[in-house]
This record gives sequence, structure tokens and C-alpha cells, in this order.
Amino acid sequence: MSLRRYTRSVDGTIPVRALLYEDEDLIASQDGIGIYDGTEKSAPHQSGTAHATTHRLFYIDAAQPIARSFELDLVHVARTEHYAGLFTSSPKITLHFHALPAPLSAGDDGAGSAADDPASRSWTCDVCAYRNPPGLSPAASRVCALCGVPRSSAPNPAVDIPGSAAPPTTPTRSPTPPASADADGEIACSVCTFLNHPALAACEMCGTPLPRRPPPPQQQQVQARSAPASRPTTPSADDDGPDTRMIRLSFRRGGDKAFYAVLRRSLLGKGWEVKGVTKPTNTVRSSVTTQGHTATLSGINGILRTVETTAASSQNDMEDALKDLEALMVKWRDMVKLAQDLNERLTAVSTTAPATLAPPAASTEGASTGPALTTQAVEPEEATFIRSSLAQLGAQMPNAPVTLDMIRDERRWVDELARELAGVLQGTGGKGEGIMRQRGVVGLDEVWGGWNRARGVALIPPSTFLMVLPHLPSHTSPPIQMRTLAGSGLSVLHTPPFTRAAFAARLVGLLALVGPKTVVEIAQEEAIPIGLAQEMVVEVEDEGEICRDEGGAGISAAGLSQNGEVRWWVNIFRGYVWDGQTD
Amino acid sequence: MSLSPHTTPSGFLLPSIHAAPPFFTLQPKAETQALVTEQWTRLILSYARHRRLFYLRVEDAEPPGSDWDEVLRNDRINRRLPPSHLSYILDDMVSKNKAMYEPVKQTRSVLLFWRLPEEWAEVLHDWASSTAQLNTILTFFEIVEPPVPSQLSGIPDTLLRRAISILTKTNRAQVIAVSDGEGVRFLAGNVSK
Repeated sequence: MSLRRYTRSVDGTIPVRALLYEDEDLIASQDGIGIYDGTEKSAPHQSGTAHATTHRLFYIDAAQPIARSFELDLVHVARTEHYAGLFTSSPKITLHFHALPAPLSAGDDGAGSAADDPASRSWTCDVCAYRNPPGLSPAASRVCALCGVPRSSAPNPAVDIPGSAAPPTTPTRSPTPPASADADGEIACSVCTFLNHPALAACEMCGTPLPRRPPPPQQQQVQARSAPASRPTTPSADDDGPDTRMIRLSFRRGGDKAFYAVLRRSLLGKGWEVKGVTKPTNTVRSSVTTQGHTATLSGINGILRTVETTAASSQNDMEDALKDLEALMVKWRDMVKLAQDLNERLTAVSTTAPATLAPPAASTEGASTGPALTTQAVEPEEATFIRSSLAQLGAQMPNAPVTLDMIRDERRWVDELARELAGVLQGTGGKGEGIMRQRGVVGLDEVWGGWNRARGVALIPPSTFLMVLPHLPSHTSPPIQMRTLAGSGLSVLHTPPFTRAAFAARLVGLLALVGPKTVVEIAQEEAIPIGLAQEMVVEVEDEGEICRDEGGAGISAAGLSQNGEVRWWVNIFRGYVWDGQTD
Repeated sequence: MSLSPHTTPSGFLLPSIHAAPPFFTLQPKAETQALVTEQWTRLILSYARHRRLFYLRVEDAEPPGSDWDEVLRNDRINRRLPPSHLSYILDDMVSKNKAMYEPVKQTRSVLLFWRLPEEWAEVLHDWASSTAQLNTILTFFEIVEPPVPSQLSGIPDTLLRRAISILTKTNRAQVIAVSDGEGVRFLAGNVSK
């Protein structure tokens, strides 16, 4: 029964690599493996693959990988034997196990359910507050991966297991010693009194967490049994004498020597022991922990090294990525050129082909039959295929953005850019709406962003953008001009109605007609953003066309509602003639 | 929006611009503010002459109840002149010799020149001659508080001294020390001027 006691079943459909801990390595695999439990063949495990790792031995069953696969922690292995085989007997490896430490704590290997396995949960270090990820081997997860300080304690079962909320003893219940254990090491459940196998963390019957048994059962005879002997117990395991605490791996298809060597190495390497950290005392081999290994991961050094490693690796990744990008940039121009070349050739071929295909009557045409034959080789389907491929690559570009290398002359280049920008602003060919749409004013930043978004590639730097702007009026109708507002230095593109003089005249007319207005009302009237309206109104004020009423010094509280907001008036002081008291 | 002049309870005719809210705002635009200041100066001096007020303090713009309420506030349009604006106007008036800081070395209070000291000098001399007090020695008190009220009644001491000093320079007055302070004797002088 040592097979049941020392192994845990795993889902064999998962690739073995996915089952490994973070710090575990797969070393060797061998198929055609049969398992002996003790000295006898284990019937369900007769054909499968064995995988040896630094921490564990996996057996993945070939027929029923889900139900019959298992894993075995190498920590249990006390010694090994190799049997070379004789005639029909296959070579075998025998693994002898340590006796299991009597009650396995919930956090220890081999016992508890998957939820209790410390490796399957992330936890926060008490010392450095590093959140340790799950996936490390049980031994490695006992210490913080960052600072190397051992994990303080197993999680409080009262928090984890809801059933423990009930008080263990109530007045009506007979006083059962909670930690009572009988001669076999069985633990009596404090709630239902069922005698559970010592390996269990929770009662087999009612699920109540079992009390830990503090001392090893030395004074069994002193402790009275808390219940009659007729109580049901967990079916006891076979008494595991040293001869039965073993399993055998039978190598039906050979490979035993190599596998054995690897296994020996794993056992000697003791990868399951965390180096440099004393293990908890209930672990079997704490006394033989090898301190000599240099790769200590604890303390400030460990933290610094971790940080350095992380930085170095991210640096490497970044450099690789940038190199890729540079390589792409080098190739990009060639790609485009090649695509354009192809496209041109195809166009030339398709235009010349019909002409040359016409039956040449004159003998002078004979010279042209040569190229005609070659052009015939390009089938129309192929041509369309190539072209569609080019289009998919984005290399065809019927509306290719104007770039500097397309047009050598810089003046013409700027002019072409201005034409393109005009299209972006006002829509091309009278169809579609440009950035300006119905608006008369638009900020320079918005235009720049919109234009570059429209180009997509070969983006225009702001300096070039500013160079293009003076050429804009000649390509737009109505002409669009740039204007810089004095207040904030904001530059805008605008249509003629928003020139300084036109706007001032319109504003004065509006104010004279309907009386004082706030900036918000003016912005509504002009359908421009409030901030922009504010700027433009201030400019008009600067010309002395209008004046402001701040109103903040109102007398009565009733007037406060309209206070704080400046109302704009036509400049009533201009040409004012005194009509008050004269002496 | 049509603005119209308004007559105050004290019988002062406020100009129509006094009913325009922007009139009470300190305009950021210098040219516009110059126009505003000019109108305020005129308004303040007219009102001072109307009410025979000689002093204007920045504090007069703060709480209601001062002599200047009718001008510095307009309840009909819910506006009042902010002290900062008034301070600006007073500064401008002093720089244009329409007022002087009184007392000196501060800028919160001014003595208004709704008549310039030179004009006051003429008024003073005319008063003395018309009341046949030339060549008689008058104390300052007799000028400021004459038995028969005159234009000079209640004139501030500072202003009176400046007027007298102007007359002294043209030999039309003479300051004489008398038993209880100073006195002044007005002379006919050369009326030709």
C-alpha cells in the first residue's frame, strides 16, 4: 500500500511540464514502465511513462492518464536499488521509502488536499510584504522568495475552513479531550468522535478540522481512550514494514540505466531542500541540509540580486525589440520600393499586352513578338493576385502620403503638403468633411494631430507643419489662415469670418443689437469653444472696441447670481459726451 | 440699451454713464480706462462742488453711509465702485493736479481741487475786496467761519494756506503773526494781472 500512501494522483492529460513547480526541472522520461507496489505488481499501473524531475517522479498512465497517473515526492526516498534484469525479467529500479512521520501537518507534503498545499497558494511575507506567487515546490514555498525569511506559520484553519466556526465543545456534549489519540496514532474528531487516520487534516466524516496532536505518542498507555474500541476507524493501512515501504519501476522497454543515473542525481541533488535555510523541524532531513551551496537567496543581497536580474532581463528584452524595429525600418523602404516596382511592371504589362497581342500583320512587328510572348506568361489572374497581395500589404497606396523623398524640391514639397493639408481640412474634391467641417476656427494642435492621423505613416513634424501653414491660403477656399491669439499664445486656423477685424465688427454689432453678453453666450452665438471665445473677445477688448463689466462688486446679494462672470459691452466710453451736472 | 441721466435726492444730476455697469469696472485696456477715469474725475469733482465736499477717501467706497454714496454706488444697477478702482482714480487725479494727498505721504485720502489753488486765491481776494476787508488783518478762523456764509466757508486749512501763499507771491496778501496764531492782510495789489 505504499503506493497509495506516498503518492498523489495527478491529471495525466496535462503535460508534465505544466505540472512542475517553478523551481523544478524535468530531467528524463522513459515510457514502457510498469509499477510494483511493494513486491507485487500494481495492476492499474502496468503501462505508462515515467518522468524524473529534480523534485519528483511522475508516472503518467498510457491507458487512463486521468485516473491512474500519480506523482511521488523524491523526499520520501531513502535509498534505491537497481536490478539489471535476467532473461524475461525486465530491469527494475526499487525505491525504498522513509517511514512517514506520524501525523503529517496540514501544510506538509503528501498529506492535505490541494487547497492546503502551500505551493498552490500565494502568500505574503510577514517581513518584506513580498507577495510570493504560487507554483513553487512545497519546500521552496516555505521561505519568502525575495528575502529568504521562512514563512511564519500555516494559515489559520479557522479562517480557511468555515466548518470550524462552531465551538469545539458545548455543555451538552461529553467532554472529549480534543487532542486525544489512541495507540495507533488515530485522532478522535472533537465533534463526531470518529477516529481518523493521523494523516488526515480534517475529519473524514464531518469535515471538522482535526486537532493537531502535539507530542508523539510516547505515553499512549496513560491516555485513556475517549471512546469504546468499537468505534469505526479509517481502514488502517498495511503495516508498513521496511520491506513493504517501497515501489518498483519495471522497465519493459529498457532505458533503465540512464533513468537510474538521472534519478540518483536528483536524489543526491536534493532539489526539494531550500538551500541556506534551515527547514522546519518536522521535515525529515533537516539535519543533513547542505549549507555549502553558494546561491543564497536571502537577505539584502538576495533582494538586490533579484532586482538586478529583473532589470537586466527587461533591458535585454527591450534591446531585442528595438533591434527588430530597426531592422524593420531598414527593410521598409526596400519593401515599398519593391512593391511599387512590381505594381508598375504589372501596369506596364497589362497595358502593352493587348497591343502586342493584336495579330501583327507587318513583318516589322516581328521584333515585338519576343516581349509579347513574355508578357503572355503573366496571366491576368496572377496579376490580380499579386496586386491584391500588395494591397493587403498596404504597399499599393493609391493615396500615398507625400514624403520628402518623393519630391526632391523642397518648395514644391511644402506646396504639395499644403495641398494635402487643405484636403484634410476641407475635405477632398468637395466630398466628405474635413477637420474644419462647419467650424470657422480650429486649434493648431488639433489640425496637426488630425493630419498625422490621416497620413498614418511618414508623420509630419511640427516644424514642417508650421512651414506648410503659410502656403495654406492658396490651396483653400475660402482661404484658411493662421492666427496666434495674444492672450495664451494659442495658434488657430480660421476662415475669413474669424479674422481679427471681422470678428470684432461682428461682436460689436451683436452687443449693440442685443445688449451685453457673457463669453459663454458669445461662444454659443459663434459656435466656438468657450476658451477660444474668451481669447478672441479679449483681443477685441484690446482693440478698445468693447469694455467689460465685472459686476463682482454688486451691492445686494440678489445680484450675486450674475456676479463673477464678466459681461461684455460695446465701448460706451468712446465718444461719450458729458450729460450730467454742469455748474 | 438706453441710458439716461438721473437726479439724486441731493439734487445732483448724475450723467447717463453712471447707469452703465462697465463704468464701475477697472478696464484692463489702458485707453478705455483712461476714458473711464476722465469721466469719473469729472463726476467726482462736480459732485464735490455740488455738495462742497473737500475730502475723498478710499474708505468711502467701502461701507454705505458716507457722503459719497450717491456717486460711488448705484443701487439701480446694483453696482458700486470697488476701492481698488477708486484708488486708481485718486492716483490719476493727483497726477493730473486735480487733487492732492492730504495728509501727505499716504494714498488713501485726497483733498479735491474742484477749484485749483489759483482759482481759490482769486475767490479769496474777490471775497476780501467785495466785503471791504482789504488792508484789515483777518485771522484764518474769520475767513473759514465768516459771520456771513461765503464760498470760503469750511475751506480746509491746507487749501487756504496754498491760496494765501499764491496771493503773497503776487503781493496781494501778507501773512502777519498775531497774538493767537497767524493772520493775513489782503492788499489791493495790481488788479491788472
